[in-house]
Amino acid sequence: MHFFSETLNLPDSAFKLLRDLIHQRTGIFFEPGKKELLADKLSPLVIERGFASFMDLYYLLKYDNNEADWRQMIDALSVQETYFWREFDQVQALVDEVVPQWASMHPRQTLRIWSAACASGEEPLSIALALNEARWLERLPIEIIASDASQKALTKARQGVYGGRSFRSLPPKLKEKYFTAVPGSNGRQWRIDEKIHGRIRWQLANLVDEADVAELAAPVIFCRNVFIYFSPESVQNTVQRFFARMPTPGYLFIGASESLFRLTTDFALREIGGAFVYVKS
Amino acid sequence: MNEPALTQKLTSPDEADRYRAVQTLANQGAVSELILALRDESWRVRRDAVNGLARHPDPPGIIVTLLKMLREQHQDIGALNSVIAVMAASNVDVIVPLVELLAGDEADLRIYAALILGHQQDLRATPALLNALDDPDANVRFHAIEALGRLRAAGAVEQLGQLLASGDFFLIFPALEALSRIGEARVASQVVPLLADPLLRAAAVTTLGAVGQTEVVEPLAALLDEPQAPVNEIAAALTAVYDRYDSQFGEGTHIADRTAQAISETGLTRLLDALPNAPAASLPDLARVVGWLEGATTARALAQILSQPAARREVVEALVRHGHHVTDLLITHLQDPDAETRQTVVLALGRIGDPTAVPALIKLLAFDSDLLVPTAGALAQIGDRRAFEPLLELLGHPHAVVRQAVISAINSLGHPEMPARAAHLLQDENPRVRESAARIAGYFGYDECVDLLFAACRDADAAVRQAAVENIVYLEDERVVPTLTAVLGEDEASVRQAAVRALVFVEPRAAWPLLLAALEDDATWVRYFAARVLGQIGFVEAWQPLARLAQADPAFQVRVAAMEGLGALGGVTAVTVLAPFIEAEEPDLARAAVTALGQVAHPAALPPLLSALRHDRPELRLHAISALEQRGGQGTAGALQWTAATDEDESVVQAALTALAELGTAAAVAALVAFTANPARRELCVAALAGLGETQIDWVARGLAHEKTAVRRAVVDALARMKHPYATEQLKQALQDEDTAVRLAAESALAVLGGSSELTIDN
Ligand SMILES: C[S@@+](CC[C@H](N)C(=O)[O-])C[C@H]1O[C@@H](n2cnc3c(N)ncnc32)[C@H](O)[C@@H]1O
Repeated sequence: MHFFSETLNLPDSAFKLLRDLIHQRTGIFFEPGKKELLADKLSPLVIERGFASFMDLYYLLKYDNNEADWRQMIDALSVQETYFWREFDQVQALVDEVVPQWASMHPRQTLRIWSAACASGEEPLSIALALNEARWLERLPIEIIASDASQKALTKARQGVYGGRSFRSLPPKLKEKYFTAVPGSNGRQWRIDEKIHGRIRWQLANLVDEADVAELAAPVIFCRNVFIYFSPESVQNTVQRFFARMPTPGYLFIGASESLFRLTTDFALREIGGAFVYVKS
Repeated sequence: MNEPALTQKLTSPDEADRYRAVQTLANQGAVSELILALRDESWRVRRDAVNGLARHPDPPGIIVTLLKMLREQHQDIGALNSVIAVMAASNVDVIVPLVELLAGDEADLRIYAALILGHQQDLRATPALLNALDDPDANVRFHAIEALGRLRAAGAVEQLGQLLASGDFFLIFPALEALSRIGEARVASQVVPLLADPLLRAAAVTTLGAVGQTEVVEPLAALLDEPQAPVNEIAAALTAVYDRYDSQFGEGTHIADRTAQAISETGLTRLLDALPNAPAASLPDLARVVGWLEGATTARALAQILSQPAARREVVEALVRHGHHVTDLLITHLQDPDAETRQTVVLALGRIGDPTAVPALIKLLAFDSDLLVPTAGALAQIGDRRAFEPLLELLGHPHAVVRQAVISAINSLGHPEMPARAAHLLQDENPRVRESAARIAGYFGYDECVDLLFAACRDADAAVRQAAVENIVYLEDERVVPTLTAVLGEDEASVRQAAVRALVFVEPRAAWPLLLAALEDDATWVRYFAARVLGQIGFVEAWQPLARLAQADPAFQVRVAAMEGLGALGGVTAVTVLAPFIEAEEPDLARAAVTALGQVAHPAALPPLLSALRHDRPELRLHAISALEQRGGQGTAGALQWTAATDEDESVVQAALTALAELGTAAAVAALVAFTANPARRELCVAALAGLGETQIDWVARGLAHEKTAVRRAVVDALARMKHPYATEQLKQALQDEDTAVRLAAESALAVLGGSSELTIDN
C-alpha cells in the first residue's frame, strides 16, 4: 500500500539514478515496475531530512556519501522476512553430512560457518540449535558468524527476542526447550536460550564490499533469500567473491527459490543429504 | 567451391566452416541447403541462413520449397515461420503465394499454408481461409479455424458461429477458441446452447467470458446450479465481462448487479464452497464475484481469505462496498497474527469510514506500533473527534513519519479546541511535541499561535526551530523577513537550510540579498537550496553568482543546482556557461547541463544540444533527446530524425522516434512516416503514428503518396489503427494505389472498419 508516493512524486529520471546508485552500493535492484515500491520505501528518508524531492536524496547519498545516511537507506530497503527452521533440509544436510565430513578431516581445526544475510537472526540460530541438538557444538570447535547489511536487523538479532511468526515452522518441542516467554508479553515474545545466542558473533557486513567478504569468508556460507533482490550481475559478482575467498572444500547454501544456473560460476551443484549445495572442490 | 562440397561443409564440426559455407550458399541462393542450415546449433549460422532465404529473388518459389520440405523432412515449423516472417518484414509479399497454395491439390501443403497464414498478421488471408472452412480435409478445416482466430478476423464470425452447431467436437473446440480471440459479442447467442453439453461446457464458458455482454450473465449464473459447474471458469468469465463492459461503457456495476440478481441460493453456496480451496490464480475472480453479492454470509466468507495475498485487493474492495455492515466483522480481524492482514483491515476500515470502528482503531494506536501510520490515516478518513486526544498523545513520537501521519490526521479532524491546544503544545517540554505543534499551528495560521511560532524560531531545539521557520512564511506578518534574516546567521545548518527554502515564499526583492549571502554559506545544503530558489524566483541578476557556483563550487550537487537555476533564467549568457559542461567527466554535471539547456528557449541553446546528441555516452544522448523534445522549436525535428536514422543504440533510436511523435509537428510526422520504410522501425513508427490526434491525420495521410510501397502500406496500417472517421476517409485514397498489396491492405482495413468494399485477393 502506498502512503507517501501520492504526495512525493518520483519521476522516471530520478528513479533511474537512485536505482543505479542503490544497485551499485547494495546489489539490490529495482525493476522498472518497482518504482512505486521504491518511492514508498524512501519517502520517509526524504521527509525526515527536510528535503523536497528524491533528487535531493540522490545527491545526498552520492556526494555527501555519509555512512549514517547509507545505513538508514539500507534499513529502509532491506526486507527482513525470515523464520526458524526455514528451508530446513539444507541445515539438516549441514549437520548430517558436511560437519561430520569436516570433523573426520580436521578434527581439531575450528569450523567457521557464516550466515551472510542473517536478518533478525533466525537462520544462524536455527543452525546453532540444530548443531546443538546433534551435539556437535560440544564435540567440535565451531564458530558461527552472522552478518547483515542492515543495522536495524542486527539490533533485533542481538536482542534475541522473537514473536509469533518466527516460530511458524519450528517444532514446538524445540521452542519449549530453547525459548522462555518474556515476562509481561502475554506469550507474544520469546527469548532464545543465552547458551545458543551467545555462540554467535553478530557483525555488520555488506555482501557487495570486497573487504567484508574477505574478512568473514568461511568454508560454509549460508546466503539465502538475498539474491532474489539482487540483479543477476550482483549475484554473479557476490558468488565469485565467495568462491575466491573460500577454502577448499567449500559449501555455499542459497535459497530454494534462487538458482545460479543462468550464471557462470566455478561452483559445482551437488545434492548432499537431499539438499542442493554449491560446492567448491 | 561447388555446391556439393559446400553442403558437406554445412555438417563440419567447426562453426566457422559452417558459417562461411552458409554465407556462400546465401549468395548463390541455394534454397534447400539454406533451409537445412536452419537447424544448425549456432545462431550465427541460422541467422545468415534466414537472411539468405529472405533475399532470394523468387519468394513464391521459396515458399513452395519450404512447405514441401516441411512435409518431406519433418522440418520444424517454428524455423520456417521465422523465415517467412523475415521475408514479410523485408516487404516480400508472402500472402499471395500462400493463398494460392491453400487452394492447391495437396492436403498437407494446404494445412501448412493455413498454419503459416495464421501467423502473418495480415487480414488479406481472411477470404481464402474462410473458403478453407469447406475444405474436404478435416485437418485443413481445423487449421483454417485456428488461423482465423489468430488473425482476429472479424469477418469470420458468422461462419465460425455456424460451426458451433455442427456437432463436430474436432471443429467446435478450435472454433470456440477462435471466437474468443476475435471477441465479437454477437456470437454469444450461438455459444450459450453449448453450456448444456458437459464436455464443451468449460470451453463455452470461457468463450462467453471473452465475447459476451449483459445477455450472457443469466446463463452463466444459471450454470452455477449444476452440481458439476466449472465454478472457477464461471467466475473468471463473469469478471471478464464486467471489465470489458466497464472499459467500453463505464458501466461495470451493471454486470455486477445483474449477476447478483441472477445467482440462486444454490449458486451462492457453490461459490462460497469454492473459496477456501481455490487455486491462487482463481481466487481474485472468485472474490470479486462473491463481493458483488451482498450479505453477512458472503462478507464472512470474504473476511476468511483476507490473509491470502493473492486476493487481498479484491476482498478489500468487496468489503468496502459492503460498507458499515462489515465494520464489526473487520474489527475482529484487527487481531490477526499477520501484520499485512491487520494493515489491510485498517485501510479498509478507513475507507468505509464508519465511526463504530473508532474505539478499536484508537486501541490499536496504543499497542500496534507497526501500524501507527495507516491507523492514523484511517482515523483521518473517518474524521471522528474521539480520535483527537489519542492522536495528540502521539505528536511526540520519535519517528518523523509517524508524526507526519498523526499531524495530517489531526489537521483533517478540524477540532475546535485545536488552536488553544496548539498554543499550549508549542510550550510542551518534549521538543518533538513542540515541533509537531509548530507544523499544525503554521498550517492553519492560528492567531493564538503567531507569537509563539516566532518565538519557536529561537527554540533551544534545532528541529523545532526548523519546523517553525518552515511555517512562519505562510503568515502575513512583518516579522517574517527579519526572523529569516536572523535565522540565516544561526549555527545549525539544517535550520539555515529551512530558512533558505522558505525564501521562495517571500517577496523576491526582500529574498534576493538573503539568497546572495546564502550562496556563500559554509554548509553545502544551504548553498544548494539557495541556488535552487534563485532559479525559481527568476531574478536575472542571479546569473553571475550562479555561474560562479556552477563553475567552481566544491560540492557537485551545488553545481548541479546552480546549473538548473541558470537554465531557468535562460538567455545567451546561461548557454555560454552551461554548454562546456556537456563534456564534463562527472555524469551528473553533464546531465544537468543538458537538462538546463533544454529549458533555455534562446536559439543559442540548440547547437550545444545537437552536439550532445553525438556524445559518446548513450545516457547523455537520451537526456539530449528529452531536452530537445521539451524545448521544441526550429531544428528539433530534423535533429531527432537524424538521431533516429543514425544512432547505434537501440534505446536512443526508440527515444528519438517517440520524441518525434510527441513533438507531433508536420516535419516530425513526415519523418516518422519515412522511417516506416525500415522494417526494424516499422512497428514502432506505425504505433506512434496511429496514436496521433485528429489534427495530424492529414500529415499522416500525405504518406499515402510516398514513393516507397512499404511506406504507403505502413501508412494504410497507421490510418486504419487510428479508428477515426476522418482517417478512414483518407484511407480510401489507397484503394487507387498502383500497388496491389497497398490496395488490398486498404480494402481489408476498410472492410474491418465497416467502410465498404469487397475483399478480393486477385487483381
Ligand atoms: C529475506 S532476508 C533473509 C534472511 C535469511 N537468510 C533467510 O533466508 O530467512 C534478506 C536480508 O538480506 C539483507 N541484505 C540485503 N542486501 C544485502 C547486502 N548487500 N549485504 C548484506 N545483506 C544484505 C537484508 O538486510 C535482509 O536482512
